[in-house]
Amino acid sequence: MVSIDTELVIHLMNRAGFGITPDELDSCTGIAYEDLVENLLGSKESSHIPDDVIFRDHVDLHASRSGVPAYWAYRMISTKSPLEEKMSLFWHGIFATGNSKLNNLRSLLNQIEMFRRSGTGKFDDLLLELSQDPAMLIWLDNQDNLNESINENYGREILELFSMGVGNYTEDDIKECARAFTGWSVANSEYMSLMAQKDSIWPYGRIVWHYDFKPGIHDVDTKEFLGEQGPFNGDDVIRIICSQKATARFIARHMYNFFVADEVPVPQWKDTPPRDPAAIDTLVEAYFEYDHDIKSVLRVLLTSNFFKESRYQKIKSPVELVIGTLRLSGEYNDDSKVDSSIFGVIAESDYMGQALCNPPSVEGWHTGEEWISSGALVDRVNFASQHIGNPDNDGVKHIVDRIRTDLRDDAHTVGELIESCGNSVGITRISEDTTEGVLDLFSQEEVQVKGKDAKIPIEDDTILRVLEFMVSSREYQLC
Amino acid sequence: MKTVKTIGINSNQPVGRGFNFPYDIAIKEDLGKSRTIYLLNRSNSATRMGTRIQYFTYEEDWIGEFGNPLEDDEAKFTRPVTLAFDNSDQLHVTDEATDEIKIFNSEGKFQRSIKLDSDSQGNGDRFGPAGIAIDSGDFIYVSSRYLNLIQKLTPEGRVVKEWGGTGGGPGEFSMPWGMDVDSQGDLYVADWRNDRIQKFDSEGIFLKTYGESGRGVGQFHRPSSVAVDTNLNVAVADWGNERVQILDNEGSVINVLEGEATLSKWSHEWLDVNLDEREARNRADLKVLDLPDHLKNAYHEASQTEHKFWGPVSVKFDSENQLYVTEHSRHRIQVFEPAS
Repeated sequence: MVSIDTELVIHLMNRAGFGITPDELDSCTGIAYEDLVENLLGSKESSHIPDDVIFRDHVDLHASRSGVPAYWAYRMISTKSPLEEKMSLFWHGIFATGNSKLNNLRSLLNQIEMFRRSGTGKFDDLLLELSQDPAMLIWLDNQDNLNESINENYGREILELFSMGVGNYTEDDIKECARAFTGWSVANSEYMSLMAQKDSIWPYGRIVWHYDFKPGIHDVDTKEFLGEQGPFNGDDVIRIICSQKATARFIARHMYNFFVADEVPVPQWKDTPPRDPAAIDTLVEAYFEYDHDIKSVLRVLLTSNFFKESRYQKIKSPVELVIGTLRLSGEYNDDSKVDSSIFGVIAESDYMGQALCNPPSVEGWHTGEEWISSGALVDRVNFASQHIGNPDNDGVKHIVDRIRTDLRDDAHTVGELIESCGNSVGITRISEDTTEGVLDLFSQEEVQVKGKDAKIPIEDDTILRVLEFMVSSREYQLC
Repeated sequence: MKTVKTIGINSNQPVGRGFNFPYDIAIKEDLGKSRTIYLLNRSNSATRMGTRIQYFTYEEDWIGEFGNPLEDDEAKFTRPVTLAFDNSDQLHVTDEATDEIKIFNSEGKFQRSIKLDSDSQGNGDRFGPAGIAIDSGDFIYVSSRYLNLIQKLTPEGRVVKEWGGTGGGPGEFSMPWGMDVDSQGDLYVADWRNDRIQKFDSEGIFLKTYGESGRGVGQFHRPSSVAVDTNLNVAVADWGNERVQILDNEGSVINVLEGEATLSKWSHEWLDVNLDEREARNRADLKVLDLPDHLKNAYHEASQTEHKFWGPVSVKFDSENQLYVTEHSRHRIQVFEPAS
C-alpha cells in the first residue's frame, strides 16, 4: 500500500499543480507537507522551455489565433512553478475573457500574464489590474462607458461574476458602479475596437492594447454605492467591493470549487448552500485576517484538513487532464522538443470542452460533472491512453524502466504490478473494477485462477499495457 | 541611417501577396536596373499553410511565389529559416526541420537539395540548419542550431570545414542563427543564445567577438541576424531588444534603430478601399507610449505601437548599402539608407 504521506503529496500536486511524476515524487521524500506547500506558494522558478526558444520556433505564438493557447500549454507543461500556472487558470475561469470577441490574442495573453504576476497578491490589487486590463475592458465594452451614456456591462459583471455574486447588491449599485468606471478605456479606443469588430489585421498586424484613462468622459459626480456615498472612481468602488463579506464568501467558494471539491455551477450558488459551509467560513476568516491576501488564503486552504481529506472529489478539467498527461509522458521534456505537435495536443482540450482563451461566455466554464459528456469521456480516455501507451515518449520509457527495475527480483504478483503502475500515474486508490479490468488483460490461466495474487514475469509490454489501462480508468479522471 | 520606405502588408491567406510572419529576405539585383526581393513567410506554425517564398520588386510590384505546402514534396518547406543567393542567382533556403538546404532558380523552380550531415559528430543528432551565407567563390556556410557548429560546404554540398561546439568561449556557439560574409571573405555569425556576434576567417579561424548580453547600447539580447555593408559596417538584428544596432568593424556602435515605419504602397491600396478604418486610423495616435510600469520594456512598446520594430528578425544590405529590416510580428520590411 502507498503510504499516507505519499498519497497526500500526490493529492497536493494534483490540485496545486498538474500531477507529479515518479521522479518528482522521489524528490519530495523527507520534506514536511507544510514545507511543500510553502515551496509551491513561493516558487517563481523558470520553466525548462524558455520563452525565447518557444518564440524562435513558433514565431506566430506571440499573437496568432492558435498560438497563445499553445504558448500557455508550453508554460504549463514545462513550468517548475505549477501553482503559478494553476492560479492563472483559476482566474482565467472566473474573469473569463474570450478571443472570439477580442480578436487580439496578445492582449489576452497580457491578461494571463497579469494573473501570473498578481494572482496570489491582495485581491483589491488584482481587481484593480483587471479593471484596467485592456482585454477585459474591450470584452465588456467599457470603452463605450461614458459619463453622458453609461454602459453597465462591466459594472454589472464585476459585481455578479467577479466579486460578490448575485443577490448581494441592487440594480442601482450596478448603475453607480458603472458610473465610477466611466472613462476607464484603452488608447485609440475607436480604432482599436473597430479593428476588433472587423477582425482586421491590416495593414501591419494587430496592435496590442494598453489602458488609457479618459478624464473627459469620466463621471466625477457623487455616487451612492453599497451604502457609501462619494465622488467615487473605480478605485473607490473596488475598495468597497473588497471589504464586503459577500466578496470574501464568493472568492472562497470559487477557491473551494477549484482546489477542494466540485461545487454546483455558479448560477446556482444563490440558492444552493456550499458543500462544506464550515470550510467556506474558514477561508472567509482567512481573507479578512490576512487583509484580502490570496496567497494567505491559499495557504490556509492547502494545509486544512478539509483539503487533505478531499481526495478524488474532483473531476479533472480538460486542461488538467491534458497537461498532467503530457507532463507524465515527457513529450516536451526539453527545449529540443518544441514543435508543431503542441497545437494538436492543446486542441484536444478544446474537444473535451475547455478551449483556453475562448470560454463559452463571460461566466466561464461549468466544471465538475459537466466536464463529462459521452463524447468528452471518449476523448479523455483516448488522449491519455494514446500518450501514456506510447513507449517512444521519454517519460513513459522512464516510468516503464523504473517499474521494471523496482519489480525485477523474481516474479511479482499482478497486484503489485497494478499498484506500481497506478502510483506511477498518480492513482493511489485503485478500485475493484479497475483491478478486475486489468486482470482481464491477462490470458494466463494462473491469473484467471489466482487473480491479483498470481505471479507473472514483469516485461515492458506488460507494464505498458497496465499503464495504458490505468490512465483509461475512472480513477484517472479524478483527482 | 534614415528611413527610406516600408514594404509589405499583413495577410493570413495561404496564397497571394502580403506577408505572414516573414522570417528572412534575399535580394536579387540587376545592377543599375532593378531589385527583386525574395521573402520567406514562416506563416502559421500550426498548419504551415502559407509557408512559402514570395517575390516582388522593390517598388512593390508582385511577381509570384513558390514553396507552398500544396506543391511537390521536394519543393515545399517544413520549417524554413534563412535565404541566400549564390553567384548564379540560385536561391538557397535552409530548413531546420528537414536538415536540408533547398535550392531554387530565380523563377522559383526547385533545382536540388543538400542534405546536412549530422553524423560527423558521431551521434546522429538533428543538425537544424539555421543561418546560411555564400561567399564569392560559392562556398556555402551553414550554422547548426542543434550541434552548435558551422559547416563550410562546396556548392555541391561536400563538407570542407567544420568548427564550433557548445559553449560560450571563443569559437563556441549556443544555437547560432543568421550569418553573412563580408567583402574580405570573413564570416559573421549571430551566436543567438550567447548574445554576441562572432567573426571568423574563411577557414574558421576565430577573429573577434562583438557585443555581450544586455539591454544597453552595444549589448545584445538574442541577436538573430547579421549583415555587413561594403564599408564593413556590421548591422545586427538585436531581436530580443526589438532594435537594430549598426557597429563599425571595430565594434563601436554607430547607430541604434528602433523603427520608423510608414505606410507601404500595398497598405495605402488597402486603406483606400476600407475607408472606415482609414478614418478611424487618422483620428488615432499610434505612437503614444504612456504604458503602465510593468509594460515599460522594448517588447511591449513594440507590440503596442505600430511604427517601431516588433520582431526584427533579419537584416540585409543591398549593393548601395541600403539596409532592409524584416519584422516577423509586423509583417513588413523597413528600408533605411546611410545618412549623407
